[in-house]
Amino acid sequence: MSLQKSVKSSGDRSEQADTTSICSSVTTQPDRHGFFGGAQYSPEPKRTVSPSTILKREQKWLRMLDNWEAFMSKNYKKVRERCRKGIPASVRPKAWLYLCGGQLLLEKHPNEYEELLQAPGDPKCMEDIRKDLHRQFPYHEMFIREEGLGQQELFSVLKAYSVLNPKVGYFQAQAPVAAFLLMHMPAVQAFWCLVSISDKYLSGYYNPGLEVLQRDGDILHALLRRTAPAVHRHLVKHKVEPVLYATEWFLCALTRTLPWDSLLRVWDCFLCEGVKVLFKAALVVLAGALGPAKVRKRACGLCETLEVLRHPPENILGEEYLVYHMQRLSLTEEDFEFEHQRQTARRRAMANRSGS
Amino acid sequence: MAYAYLFKYIIIGDTGVGKSCLLLQFTDKRFQPVHDLTIGVEFGARMITIDGKQIKLQIWDTAGQEAFRSITRSYYRGAAGALLVYDITRRETFNHLTTWLEDARQHSNSNMVIMLIGNKSDLESRREVKKEEGEAFAREHGLVFMETSAKTAANVEEAFINTAKEIYEKIQEGVFDINNEANGIKIGPQHSTGAGAGGAGGAGAGGASSGGCC
Repeated sequence: MSLQKSVKSSGDRSEQADTTSICSSVTTQPDRHGFFGGAQYSPEPKRTVSPSTILKREQKWLRMLDNWEAFMSKNYKKVRERCRKGIPASVRPKAWLYLCGGQLLLEKHPNEYEELLQAPGDPKCMEDIRKDLHRQFPYHEMFIREEGLGQQELFSVLKAYSVLNPKVGYFQAQAPVAAFLLMHMPAVQAFWCLVSISDKYLSGYYNPGLEVLQRDGDILHALLRRTAPAVHRHLVKHKVEPVLYATEWFLCALTRTLPWDSLLRVWDCFLCEGVKVLFKAALVVLAGALGPAKVRKRACGLCETLEVLRHPPENILGEEYLVYHMQRLSLTEEDFEFEHQRQTARRRAMANRSGS
Repeated sequence: MAYAYLFKYIIIGDTGVGKSCLLLQFTDKRFQPVHDLTIGVEFGARMITIDGKQIKLQIWDTAGQEAFRSITRSYYRGAAGALLVYDITRRETFNHLTTWLEDARQHSNSNMVIMLIGNKSDLESRREVKKEEGEAFAREHGLVFMETSAKTAANVEEAFINTAKEIYEKIQEGVFDINNEANGIKIGPQHSTGAGAGGAGGAGAGGASSGGCC
């Protein structure tokens, strides 16, 4: 309980922020993540790490959060290792806020969120946001009620972002990310995390034209060719382009793709290590789903293959399987960098050709 | 289940006009007011019968927000039919039809059958676009037109099936080259025309039909 309080204390700058933290701390009915139903509903109790291990981890994390700057600058590998093991649920919201730099942004601009909310906002954006409020995790207790507190805060967070960054305004894929953040932290913190994720982690994903997304799809395919050549060949043969199956994975940072426990674990790594974690998760899912030759044989067309990717077997989406195999992929930083450069150059050449 | 033909459809139109609800009403015969927003593309499928032949409709449901336009274009490839949807209670969704139509014509094959749909016909009291306006637009651009309600299911079957009938007629008239998959038509495993047998490729789809996309 005391841990919960320490999480909240960093956010109670305003009354509004405080109400949210209260609201999001009651999220255990009926499933442990607050889902009444829908694809995310997971009624089985989680097979947990022993309570004593959790306690030890919590203490380590609290020490780390108290000396955050020092750990990040001198002992990043330790932070990464602890993220990969999974952040204890009680410290997760604060850890995420620190990991993604949301805390720094919040300290740098203490009143900006409230100021942004005062602005009228672009009417078209406001209308688009309103239309989507009831379409984000509609089975989650926070968002189930039309115009309830959750939906109101979702509106505020998305509106504030659209005012802050009018070039993007409001992009629909941001809504699930914002909603997911709101399930964990007060609105003002969720806002700064969203800013960091949209502008830094997924930089360019929400820009008009979706060029960066398409490039990253190409990078994913190129990496897949190294990690799972048979799966890559299958996708090429049936013309299954990344834009057909990975759009939602990337744009929503897997928030609508993975079972909840796995999602939390992947996000622990994602906020620590960046977007390449999404690539790794995608590669593991692709290899897991289409790896067996008999599955590829059955999925003998574009749509059949997409169907397999839309519903991969449960076991490969489990948190232990996923996180373990993500770390075992034989890909180095250099591999990522190399493909990034190569695909960027390739797309530039393509654009030049079609432009001339 | 075996089918004689498979037609690929795409559903397009502004965000919030009810594309996903139309699809769900057609494939599952239910209306779900609470659902996740479509990001990228979703799929649905259903078997119908035309002229005594089993036809499988494979339907691609797309995200409507303008920002998605650049990738929606890649979904047009190989579509035999398109449902272009607007919301009769929101004038601007009707105003954007021209842009959608340009996109559709530019990125699809020229024979693609386009059905214009004014959705949410159950919300008569909030109507902003008259039925006659929809009819006029359709006439002007050579489209088939219908008003539907994904909520009450009014005209939903008809919209999907009439589009299929048009495609089927075009096949009978020889307008569509059914051996070219880029036209969005596949010959099913039960079809016996010698020429198509090699290109059928859909034999593996034999089993599952409900919920799946193929």
